[in-house]
Amino acid sequence: MKYPKPEADSTTVHAILTHSLTKIYKDAFNRHPSVTALRDVSLEVRQGEIFGLLGPNGAGKTTFVKILLGFVRQSAGRAMLLGVPLPNVEVRTRIGYLPEAHRYPSYLTPVEVLMLFGGLSKMPRAAIASRISTLLPLVGLEQWKGMKVRRFSKGMLQRLGLAQALINDPPLLFLDEPTDGVDPVGRKEVRDLLVRLKHEGKTIFLNSHLLSEVEMISDRVAILDKGTILKVGTVEELTRRSNLYDIGVAGEVPEAFHHEAAANVLAFRMNGNVMTAEVKDVQELNRFVDTLRKHGVLITYLAQRKSSLEESFLALLKREMAP
Amino acid sequence: MSILTLIRGTIRELLSKATLYVLLGISTLVLLGTLVAISAQQTNEGIVLHLFGLPISTPAQPEELMPSVYNMQAGLARGLFVGIMLFGVFATASLIPDSLEKGIVDLYLSKPLARWELLAGRSLGGVCAIGAVTVYFIAGVWLTFGIRAGVWNVHFLLSSITMTLMFAVIGSMLAVLGVIFRNAAVPIIGCFLYLMVVDNLLDSRQTVLYMLSENPLYRTACDVFSYALPQVSSMQRELSNQILQRPVAWQAFLQPILSAFGLFGVAAFIMHRKDF
Repeated sequence: MKYPKPEADSTTVHAILTHSLTKIYKDAFNRHPSVTALRDVSLEVRQGEIFGLLGPNGAGKTTFVKILLGFVRQSAGRAMLLGVPLPNVEVRTRIGYLPEAHRYPSYLTPVEVLMLFGGLSKMPRAAIASRISTLLPLVGLEQWKGMKVRRFSKGMLQRLGLAQALINDPPLLFLDEPTDGVDPVGRKEVRDLLVRLKHEGKTIFLNSHLLSEVEMISDRVAILDKGTILKVGTVEELTRRSNLYDIGVAGEVPEAFHHEAAANVLAFRMNGNVMTAEVKDVQELNRFVDTLRKHGVLITYLAQRKSSLEESFLALLKREMAP
Repeated sequence: MSILTLIRGTIRELLSKATLYVLLGISTLVLLGTLVAISAQQTNEGIVLHLFGLPISTPAQPEELMPSVYNMQAGLARGLFVGIMLFGVFATASLIPDSLEKGIVDLYLSKPLARWELLAGRSLGGVCAIGAVTVYFIAGVWLTFGIRAGVWNVHFLLSSITMTLMFAVIGSMLAVLGVIFRNAAVPIIGCFLYLMVVDNLLDSRQTVLYMLSENPLYRTACDVFSYALPQVSSMQRELSNQILQRPVAWQAFLQPILSAFGLFGVAAFIMHRKDF
């Protein structure tokens, strides 16, 4: 089967560009029904950003990454990495990948693993050696460089995986569950490292179940479910909930305010000195504030309430599942 | 460069396993045995060859001894051929299936490495490792016969290259079966069956298989299989001719080499179509 290939793109503003990417797994002997893993996925990931792909198990996240990396052939659609139409083997010299379930040769030391994968990335030996001396301290494996990988813990293997993904100093990184098995301190270090890499201009495509982590470091996020993109936006956009506002108040709120608010059908709840108001629009919010001031309540702050990425994610999936 | 890295990595992997060391150990034992067993004694009438202290030749001049030594070397080579093929298949059958396992194939394919290169690198790594053991053994035997009997048969030394080539031919079969079944058991059983049964049947098809039926379609099928699959038996015959310094029909090597390329092409095609 021949796939339509995109035109070569001279403007490589997008690190990843996909158009109507579709993958249908067919059973060669028709014993099982076909499974549509991806359906018309069009996505743009800009250079220099951390992009998180979220979705429940079986949403198609891994299939999407596998198509981009050439492990899986798409059934339809087209894709580009760093301005190069896919499939293309050479573009992988500029890509780093940390798979979710990686297995390194257990008889090698971290230095030997990195020499092997650096060599496969077509790097000269001297360049690999120099890169190793930078990477091992960076991922915290310097003191274990002589130990065989078979003796590594899961967290250490994950750190080695990160070093492996970075060995060729790639401008584009695909990371599948980068903090899996890493302790909380290590997770913070990994997050800091990813932010640092972003500041160096690298694009990071993050595939993770840990939504709080994605929320902390991602610039933009896409939510994928049943092979379809449900929403793409900044973390800010996805977590904003326009009808909930936290209002800090000083002192007691008079009973009269409660009565007037109830009469005007203004919904709110108190939690200590914080009042959470649910309003339909900005006018209603202003009406709410006016009522508070009318009753002499001192307002210390007003902030639009944001749900966590996890809450937004679950709400979005719930809406999709609703009949 | 990626293929060379992969070949180095594959050899390193084989060195981490016991199988290659067992093969090296057996080779060393046989070498030492040969060194102890073979001796030559200078008498007034000429040189007498001894095997475990017993004379096995009449007194002769060095050039008259050569046919006996060549025959011994050819016999050793035939035994080694079978040993190398069977042990080599056993030692290297898992190389390709292992590299296609989840978590490993992802790492390889994320590198600028075409799928056929992954196959070629892994196969050639196995061939290089088995080739090194073959050269070690053959060179050892060659030195033994040279030092003990004064016969330096370069053709015997060169037969190590021929044997490595023959193992590479079998390696292509391992590649196809490894890619299709993604485990080591089927390639091992398949290659053993081929080497011990199928190849011999196809080689003697006119005297054995043709007797089973006169159906032209059946006979054509036998011919097609015989020409499509590597004719290892004919290579083995020519290996003996090479060592005995008889005329060698080099075209006997052409068919297996072409067949190996064909099989490797099939493996690469299947690999290319697979989703990982």
